[in-house]
Parts: sequence; structure tokens; C-alpha cells
Amino acid sequence: MIDCDIHPQIGDPEELLAHVETGQRDWFRGQPYFGLPGYSWSHPSSWYRKDLAADGRPPGADVEAVQRELLDPSGTAAGVLNADDAVLASLMPSPYRAAALARAHNDWIRERWLERDARLRGAIVCPAQDPEEAAREVRRAGEDPRFVHVVLCGGSERPYGEPRYLPIFEAAAELGLPVAIHSGGEGMGIAAPPGGAGPVTFYIEWHTLGSACSTMAHLVSLLVHGTFERLPSLKVLLIEGGIAWLPGILWRLDTNWRALRSDTPWLDRKPSEVAREHVRFSTQPLEHTDGHDELLWEMLEAAGAPDVLCFASDYPHWDFDDPAFMLKRLPEAWRERVLHENAAALYGERLGLVPA
Amino acid sequence: MSDWHDVGSLADLERDGHVVARVEGREVGVVAVGGDLRGVRNRCPHHGGPLCLGTVERRVTGRPGGYDLADELVLRCPWHGWEFDPLTGACLDDSALRVAVYPAKAVDGRVLIDI
Repeated sequence: MIDCDIHPQIGDPEELLAHVETGQRDWFRGQPYFGLPGYSWSHPSSWYRKDLAADGRPPGADVEAVQRELLDPSGTAAGVLNADDAVLASLMPSPYRAAALARAHNDWIRERWLERDARLRGAIVCPAQDPEEAAREVRRAGEDPRFVHVVLCGGSERPYGEPRYLPIFEAAAELGLPVAIHSGGEGMGIAAPPGGAGPVTFYIEWHTLGSACSTMAHLVSLLVHGTFERLPSLKVLLIEGGIAWLPGILWRLDTNWRALRSDTPWLDRKPSEVAREHVRFSTQPLEHTDGHDELLWEMLEAAGAPDVLCFASDYPHWDFDDPAFMLKRLPEAWRERVLHENAAALYGERLGLVPA
Repeated sequence: MSDWHDVGSLADLERDGHVVARVEGREVGVVAVGGDLRGVRNRCPHHGGPLCLGTVERRVTGRPGGYDLADELVLRCPWHGWEFDPLTGACLDDSALRVAVYPAKAVDGRVLIDI
């Protein structure tokens, strides 16, 4: 089993700050939450699973906790650590603070996590609001083959197909790294509002719309800008934005492409075909269908499933998908591909490499 | 016919809010619901979470724009927060889901469940 979305928590801020350049360390120390934009829409109860022991630290703040609560019982062969907090650096007003925090986080992941369990893999955080600097960080951190993808947050100033972001995707493609876009951060800091109709009111609204709408927007943007025509080796993984909507948005996009092709004449085949080839989707949080799972599987097949789906747990968050439960819920013929093979193909050689 | 099983100490239940044990092949727990004890299968019918490790709390209710705490106590799953009636086992927001519930009692400092 390969888990594309594990969230390591920062138990001791000083562990992370030790990796920040000295000239900026006191600034970060003096800010709440490292100066990252805070959530305007907060979970009414807890961001975390409530059954996890924490002893005053956040759940999932230690390698041992992740081993005990996730990796060992599930038999996970490899798990990718996506930054919970630092990925929001892209939404800080200051690209300079964002760059310092991203660098520190990547170094912290390497030292505190990757060195301590050979099953863990890293996700490169970068300051997307400064794409040239972000590309430099992708190349720097990506020298370590244990980093297996670049992670951007769903919240952004503009959709990621915009040419301004190309340096990030170019750097990733050059290194053979997929770019993961993980929902979250919509409406925070310098990000556009979530939902597409102005700021939302409730967490339930943000969690329903923010993640799905930003994921749809990035998917369509990357496709219509011709990102994959520019970078034929690029792969993108969309994490935690839902998947039940996928066939609908691709049918809609294909229909519009036939009628409006001259708007984006560089698209010489159906966008859904490009998506099948270049885009993968995490399963979590797999929609609860009120007894209509068969319908969900059939619709997803129309969008390329099971080959486009990769398992993700989202440990230790409250909307976590349990590996054992997912093993039973997925159609038997899909399991091996969704739980392991698709991610293995997506990450390729980096998944098996360790530094010399 | 009653079939009472010892699932733990009352002191542990009072400290943690629950005790959990395996009885006849099933993982079950007992939670404190107000002043009473209630036995509950320790597997959430939504996603398989350890339901007895959740919280017993008053259900939040309200009309549009208003919030109130009902007297009704619910058992909230520690994973996804789905709420269950600890007396009937019914999921309060999905009529298709129900968790098995059992009588429970304390005798001489021990917690017993009737499976």
C-alpha cells in the first residue's frame, strides 16, 4: 500500500525554526502560527481524529506515532508527508518569509522524518507566490530522491495553469517529480475566496466547496492552458478535493472544447484524454454515497478509474480514510491499482531510492 | 436470557469515559451517558471507527442562525463526528445506519455488559 497523503504535525516549533536562517528566525518566533494565514473557517470540534493519543502535542507529531497508528497496522510500504502548515506559506503576503519557511520545512522533513523511517517520503513545499524562487527550492530540495512530489495548496492567487506558475511545473518536470495540489488554504491570506461566489460563512461550506472548487479550477486551468502540451512528461496529483464530480466536469469541458476550441487552439485532443494521461486523484475523502457505491464506481470508470485513482489516508485529520476500510469498500478488481500500483507508477524510480 | 460479561473497571470508565473489551468475538465498550452506563459495539457503522472512544455530549440544535444545546445526549464518533443515540444505537443523521447497543451496569467496581 502506498499512502499519498500523511500530515506530519509540528510538535515543537523550535524544531522547525532551527532550520530557518538566523536573520529571520526571531520574526517567525514572534508570529502566531509562524506568520502563516490562519483559518477563517475553523472546524467546530477538532481538526484531528479524537482517538489518537497526543500527550500535549498534536497527533501525528512524531515518527513513532505515525508508525504505531498508521504505517504498521496498515502495512504501508511508502507514505508521502504533505505539510499541513507550511504549504500555506504560498499564501503569505511576503514571498521572502514564505521562501524561508518553505526551505526550513523541507529540511525539517528530511532531518526529523525521512531519516527515521525508510517508508516515509517527502513533499517539497515552495513559495508559489514567487514562482522563480519556488522553482529554485524545488531543484534544491529535489536533489534528495526521497522527496517524491512538489506540493502546492489549493488556495492560490490565480489558477495554476496561469503562465506565471510555469517555472514551478518546469522544475518539477525536469526532476521527474509530479506536482501535487492539495486542497486547503482557499480564501486565506492572499488566496482567492473559496467557492466561486464570494467568501463562504461556515466550515461545512468551506469544506464542501472550497476544496472541490479549487481542485476543479486548477484541473481545468492546467488543461486549457496547455500545461501538459508544454511539459509532456508532467504528472499532477490532485489531493483531497473529492472525486465524485470528476466525470461531470470532464464531460462539460469536453463538450465546451468541441464548441470553443478556437479559444485554446493548442488543445488538439479532448481535455479528458489529457487528464487521463497526466492527472491522478487521491481517493480521500471518498464520498459517502448513501448506498450508491455501484453508481460511483461506474461514473468514475467513465473518467478513467481505477487507473487515475491513488489511495490517501489524510492521517491524522478528522476526515481520515482508514486503509482497512478502504480495502473493503473499493471494488475488488480496483484494489491493487488504487492502493499501490497507480502511485508506484506515478512516483516511479524515486519511490525506491535512498541517498547514496 | 441475560449474559453479563466483565469488560473493565468502573474506575477506568470514570477516568476515561469508556472501557473497551472483546466479548464473544466482538469489540464492545461501555460509555457513561449522564448517570447511566450503556454498552455499544465499538465499530462505527459509517467507516469502522472506534465509536466508544468518542465523546458523549449534548446535541447542538437550532433554527437557522441560532444555536442551542438540547438535553438529548449523543455519542459522537472520534473519527468523522457522526452522532448516535446511545439508547437505541440509531445514527441521528442517517436513518440507514445503526450501531448495536447493549444493557450495561456496574457491580462491585466492575463494569458489566449484557450481550
